[in-house]
Amino acid sequence: MTPAEDVSNGRPVILSLAGLSKSFGSLKAVDDISLDIPEGEFLTIVGPSGSGKSTLVRLLAGLETPSGGDLFLREARITDHPANKRPTAMVFQSLALFDHRTVGQNIEFAMKMKGVPAAQRRQRALELLSLVRLPEAYYTRPVTQCSGGERQRVALARAFASEPEILFFDEPLSAIDYRLRKTLEVELKELHQRTRRTFVYITHSLEEAMVMSDRIAIMQDGRIVQTGTPAEIYGAPANRFVASFMGEVNILTVERGAAGGATFAEIGQPAEAPRGAYAMIRPEALALGDGPVTAQLEVTQRLLLGSRTQVHLVAPSGATLISELPGSAPELQIGTRHAFSFAPADIAWMET
Amino acid sequence: MRTRTSPGPWFAAPVAVFMLLCFAAPILIVTWYSLMPSRTFDLTGALTTENYRAAFTEGYTRPLLWSLLGAATTTVITALLAWPTAVILHRYAGKWASVTSALIALPIFISESVRLFGMSVFLMPRGGILAGSLNAVFGIQIGSILNTWAAAQLGMIYIHLPFMLFPLLLGVSLIPADRIEAARDLGASRWQTFREVELPLAAPGLLIGALLTFVLCLGANAEAAILGGRAVTVITAAIEQRFNYAQDWPMGAALTVLVILVTALIVLPVLSRLDLNKLTRR
Repeated sequence: MTPAEDVSNGRPVILSLAGLSKSFGSLKAVDDISLDIPEGEFLTIVGPSGSGKSTLVRLLAGLETPSGGDLFLREARITDHPANKRPTAMVFQSLALFDHRTVGQNIEFAMKMKGVPAAQRRQRALELLSLVRLPEAYYTRPVTQCSGGERQRVALARAFASEPEILFFDEPLSAIDYRLRKTLEVELKELHQRTRRTFVYITHSLEEAMVMSDRIAIMQDGRIVQTGTPAEIYGAPANRFVASFMGEVNILTVERGAAGGATFAEIGQPAEAPRGAYAMIRPEALALGDGPVTAQLEVTQRLLLGSRTQVHLVAPSGATLISELPGSAPELQIGTRHAFSFAPADIAWMET
Repeated sequence: MRTRTSPGPWFAAPVAVFMLLCFAAPILIVTWYSLMPSRTFDLTGALTTENYRAAFTEGYTRPLLWSLLGAATTTVITALLAWPTAVILHRYAGKWASVTSALIALPIFISESVRLFGMSVFLMPRGGILAGSLNAVFGIQIGSILNTWAAAQLGMIYIHLPFMLFPLLLGVSLIPADRIEAARDLGASRWQTFREVELPLAAPGLLIGALLTFVLCLGANAEAAILGGRAVTVITAAIEQRFNYAQDWPMGAALTVLVILVTALIVLPVLSRLDLNKLTRR
């Protein structure tokens, strides 16, 4: 793959990974990854802990040196450039704010390093404060007096202040509570749309990735197992790892004895010939009532999820399934039997 | 409403009594003595500032300046030596860090005079360990810095390095690795990272180390006596001479009070900037 190759809509490639690898002893944390990132893209790299996603982003930021492969920024090889020589900035998982400095000094850090005059720095810092929706009065506040969400915004403004061509995010939202995280996810997406910079975001949450990204890359054991738009990954996961990563799904095997829960035959005859070894059916696709593929299932558990109800089901053969229905579904009491069905079109087939 | 049975003062009483008897009282007595007429041995004479006038006119300024210079030089050089040592011990030594620290700390348990006499044997000319070995093995003949100010300075650095190193090790451990990475990522060079991030974050440890080293060096006497061969007179030697040989207690007391004042003038402003909570929070 040449670094200049276009991958999406004619936008030029800003960052190109060519067989990038990083080993720690015998562990291959990042294993031969090749990927082109177009300019202005919001790319999210998703993987469970230990999948090597943090190491990958540290390689991209220049905080680790690769054991193999190359990295190109606009076709220029930057593999050996140290972090301070790369036009990129990272928002750390810990945020890594300078606690001995004020909010303003944190934001101005990169400009101060470049020798920007104080007045100009201050003006830019105030602009950035408004960009991340913090009041100007925060300029003189010590970062130690900021709340969790405010610290996130300071870290974001500090990264923006270096005028980076690419911003890296290493799970910055993982340690904050659900509501604030949701707010910041939306704000980050808006910030991306407004600034049109290239964002590379690392997370273990596919849900978070779905909300924000233009494109998602899923990592497993140091390799990228699937890349695609959120819709592509949601609709057609490449394998069971990707499918199960999206939360609770029903994975049916075609042949008995293979890994996974129920076999196809156990819940009723498939309407068409299988097109893979495994079938994924989302809980919301398994609907109440007769349909193209119908099974008689008994309710073993019901969980109210607010706007939806999740029921755990068991087939006469003992196979277990999950279904999610809108509303409170009062008829689905534990111990009752009902007909459930799904359409063949709702099956996502996978080979592995 | 204040209750009569508040236990606070009672718990504080033993410490308060101890401080009064062992800290405040001696200072008070020494200060009182310094105001007595020269070469008297009681505290009932007429008050006079004659001793202080003599301290500035009879050549005691030089010993004081030598002491201050020695203390300042030692503080700076031990800091320069201890910083990279502390960084290496903290970041790279891994399991060897505790062994190395113990080896550095071990000499503290040996009497300072014994170590200084050992150093003296090491530095001796001709048959000394350094000069003799170089002559025997390489045929190189060198002189000796023994009995010069340089030898005393070397001894002070050697003796006081651990007092700088250990607080600094604590200080360096206060620098989270991600802050250094963040600074580098934001475009800071190694030197900028050191000045803007590492130094301020390690400052509490560095300040404590500097205070310890400086104050200990100001009171140091043995290095100049054993290694320096009294090539220069430091203020502690001058005070000792006043009390012992000259039998001029009021003069010795006046010099002592001056050293305490100079020390306080230097130490207190630094101490007031030090936030001890920062060190103990982690």
